[in-house]
Amino acid sequence: MSIKKTFEVFLAITLVLSLAATTSARENIEVVGSSTVYPFSTVVAERYGRSSGKATPKIESTGSGGGMKLFCSGIGTQFPDITNSSRRMKKSEFNQCQKNGVSEIVEVQVGFDGLVMANSVESPVMKLSRKEIFLALAAKVPGDKEGELIDNPYMTWKQINESFPDDKIEVLGPPPTSGTRDAFVELAMEGGCKAIPWLAAMEKTDKRAFKSICHTIREDGHFIEAGENDNLIVQKLQANPKALGIFGFSFLDQNADSVHGAFIEEVAPEFDSIADKSYPVSRPLYFYVKKAHVGVVPGIQGFLDEFTSEKAWGEEGYLAEKGMIPLSTEQRRLTGKNTRALLPMTGDEPLK
Amino acid sequence: MSTTVVSAAETDSNTRSQHLMSGDQTNFLNDIQDHVTVGTCFSENAKMSIKNVSVFYGNKQAIFDASVDITENQVIAMIGPSGCGKSTLLRSLNRMNDTIEGCRVKGHISMDGQDLYSPKLDVVELRARVGMVFQKPNPFPKSIYDNVAYGPKIHGLTDSRYELDEIVEESLRRAGLWDEVRDRLQQPGTGLSGGQQQRLCIARAIAVSPEVILMDEPCSALDPIATARIEELIEELSQNFTIAIVTHNMQQAARVSHRTAYFHLGKLIEVNPTEQVFTMPEHNLTESYITGRFG
Amino acid sequence: MSKPSRNLERIQRSLVSRYRAEKAFRLCGIAAVTLGLLAVLVLFADIFLKGKSAFSATYIQLEINYDQEVLGIDDLSDEGALMLADWDRLHKTALRQEFPQVRKRSERRELYALVSNGAGYDLKERLLSEPELLDQTEKFWILADDDIDTYYKSLLKGRAYTARLSLAQLERVKQLIDQDRIELQFNANFLSRGDSREPEQVGIKGAMFGSFFTLVITLLLSFPIGIAAAIYLEEFAEKNRWTEFIEVNINNLAAVPSIIFGLLGLAIFINFFNVPRSIPFLGGLVLAVMTLPTIIITSRAAIKSVPPSIREAALGLGASPNQVVLHYVVPLAMPGMLTGSIIGMARALGETAPLLMIGMVAFIADVPGGFTDPATVLPVQIFLWADSPERAFIEKTSAAIMVLLAFLITMNLSAVWLRKKLERRW
Repeated sequence: MSIKKTFEVFLAITLVLSLAATTSARENIEVVGSSTVYPFSTVVAERYGRSSGKATPKIESTGSGGGMKLFCSGIGTQFPDITNSSRRMKKSEFNQCQKNGVSEIVEVQVGFDGLVMANSVESPVMKLSRKEIFLALAAKVPGDKEGELIDNPYMTWKQINESFPDDKIEVLGPPPTSGTRDAFVELAMEGGCKAIPWLAAMEKTDKRAFKSICHTIREDGHFIEAGENDNLIVQKLQANPKALGIFGFSFLDQNADSVHGAFIEEVAPEFDSIADKSYPVSRPLYFYVKKAHVGVVPGIQGFLDEFTSEKAWGEEGYLAEKGMIPLSTEQRRLTGKNTRALLPMTGDEPLK
Repeated sequence: MSTTVVSAAETDSNTRSQHLMSGDQTNFLNDIQDHVTVGTCFSENAKMSIKNVSVFYGNKQAIFDASVDITENQVIAMIGPSGCGKSTLLRSLNRMNDTIEGCRVKGHISMDGQDLYSPKLDVVELRARVGMVFQKPNPFPKSIYDNVAYGPKIHGLTDSRYELDEIVEESLRRAGLWDEVRDRLQQPGTGLSGGQQQRLCIARAIAVSPEVILMDEPCSALDPIATARIEELIEELSQNFTIAIVTHNMQQAARVSHRTAYFHLGKLIEVNPTEQVFTMPEHNLTESYITGRFG
Repeated sequence: MSKPSRNLERIQRSLVSRYRAEKAFRLCGIAAVTLGLLAVLVLFADIFLKGKSAFSATYIQLEINYDQEVLGIDDLSDEGALMLADWDRLHKTALRQEFPQVRKRSERRELYALVSNGAGYDLKERLLSEPELLDQTEKFWILADDDIDTYYKSLLKGRAYTARLSLAQLERVKQLIDQDRIELQFNANFLSRGDSREPEQVGIKGAMFGSFFTLVITLLLSFPIGIAAAIYLEEFAEKNRWTEFIEVNINNLAAVPSIIFGLLGLAIFINFFNVPRSIPFLGGLVLAVMTLPTIIITSRAAIKSVPPSIREAALGLGASPNQVVLHYVVPLAMPGMLTGSIIGMARALGETAPLLMIGMVAFIADVPGGFTDPATVLPVQIFLWADSPERAFIEKTSAAIMVLLAFLITMNLSAVWLRKKLERRW
């Protein structure tokens, strides 16, 4: 067979195979979205797959924003069925979904995640307020006069608060692409910002400037972007006891022998304190389901049932064991009922 | 058979002899402007005919207006100092120069009256009719049998394995190699000695029964004994094949060829029967070369 | 011209410094090689030491009563009943019997946490393979939870990691140790199961098969197309501005960061051709495109190295250019082509970035059965496990790296072996 002929045969095989691949129906559920919800979503998926005997749902960790984009691209088996998110869907994303035909979306809040600032057990536990966190990490901080902003001059913790150790400010945290970073700036930094009166007032008058000041983190070497891998941050804290790290509660839980979490506004980061909201830096976790895919892609209903069962998301459930903070009993009851009934979002929800 | 003698050369030759006597050797070598080939360029039963052929490598001209006939069933030797273009001319005969980029051939080369450079000519067919043996033995990295069998196979010369076996044996006998390799036909051709390899290449070339065999310095890489055997072979082969051989070795040319062509810096100086060239050369350049004044 | 004797002196003097310089150069070379080898040794030792414990798992011996009433099964072929049965109760009951002093609910939960939450399925398989065990009791080694596994292994190493266990649980484990009912056995799960969120149940088989299927597609596509392109460009194509342009582009493509090919896969294969995400067929397509320039370049070099004397011999006999290529050039260049291809494959085996864009970086618990099942590959699996918080994943990650390295070393060794076998001298 001449070379040219062999060429043609291979081209034909490739095309045929690709056609075959496209026409076969999808057997497994496809989930995309937040890297924070990923550890919990995967546990449920595995349990569901094992107990039902159906194909285990495939979970991708694309980030909350990326997941929303894929989710809202349209209806059909080439698009994902469910997206996880470590923040509520934005109004703009909701509109995008509607525009592309994703009209009936079921919103499910599954629990909370706590964000901690931790350091090595060899160093004393820090007790921080959100204002102090803001002063330590913001790019620009208030000067002496009201309304004045200066480049962050604080080099050591002692300069912010006399009772802190005289150590260089060194915080390892997530990069701008991470949802954890978004949550941190919104909950911890913004919270601290609002403790300064004239900045709090600015929230009403000039929202954009407010956000820009409160969310921008310093880039002079005191805040170090340590990548998406939280295990790595934990290791670095062990090597450098004077540094602090920012990550989710589940990592604190798993590495309690080497790191401990800072108190924020006098509250220690613990399971109960995050659950009852006394610990101020916690965020809700969601996932969103396309109602149109239920019944078309096999097993979505079963997956939802598993996720909203007490043995999964209850206080004694296996997700709590993995470090997810559960909703209150009443919230679970209501959300579970609405989810199982596939109640779609109305569009009147207070989305940002 | 007519001799063409150019009178201008005679008067010039006196001037040249004077140069020689004055020891001014290198000058007159480059002095040939318009040359005319002396001797018997043309013959009656010419197998191949070269007329006014010039060969260029890019801008550099390697052969200047050469004309000579290659007589059927005879051996013609092409001799001359290094770089005089004899290999180039030989390679034009089976269009091996086609593989060299920038090589152009002007003039006419024909075999049995057929123009070899016409666009309608199938080069592959030509090379089946005009075989070649190279300076350095280059057997294929295959068995001895397969080396010889390759040509007949691709040209579809046999219908059965039995016929192929016969051709292989015949070719190896003709090349004088059969007795040495009959027990080890499946062994690699590259395992033979230099002389045996060259004979294998010759067997390979004659397996397709070409009409003409071109040999480009076939013995230059071999020892004297192997050389002698191949020279014997050439004599035998010339009874059935037309052979053109390029050689650096004048004595070899004297031994094996019927006619000799002398080249000098790309120009064909003289073509004559071998005996004449080596005893009474017509052109004084030929004489100088043969007597060893240069080259 | 200086006198010969003075020249000799100067030569002798210069020789001293020349030899000294050469010695220094040699030492530099030895130092470089030693450093390199040392780095490799340290890396391998670190991975090996961290990973070897992953091939064993902690098991607890319990007396299991396959109580028919508890399970509610009459007929072992009844699929529905098998699925509904509460297999976990079997080991929970056994634990309660083992430690009757445990009463309170919270203490009981701690007790049950000693055993892996997947152990129920192991018991189910055990009963299905030995049906006469129904309603019988036997001493069975059951898989422990990953916290117990981490603790026990650290205890054996001398640095006990107790942070995840309560005092009561530590007590239980001590009791089991005293009774010789806890030990390390070969971790059967690691090589037979796919990904999992429970470290004690996790396996590398899913990723191994995923890598295998992906590489098969990569090889099937890139090898023939690559060598065909190399043969055409080297032997048949005219040398003009177009072919030069193509050559420059191929050389550039070989240096393009691999994630770009992932973007290509996303844009063309997924969005335009609608190939489903996360399947080895798609991964193979993307990696084939990535490997193609490498194969073309190495194949061209191999073809160039075929001696022209062989070509001339074949041409002189009247072989057509096609026949020269097929009968002589390709077979003689084949060792080089194969070596280049295997090295290209080895590179493709270790790639993660291009697969990120096409959805192969995902939690996929099922072992893929073919080219169109969702799958992940070995380097991706390592990446995902490295990101998990559970302590026990550290050893699993290192073990997975060992598996990947074993694959790579095998492929490179086979490249060397192939080349040696096919090399001819002339």
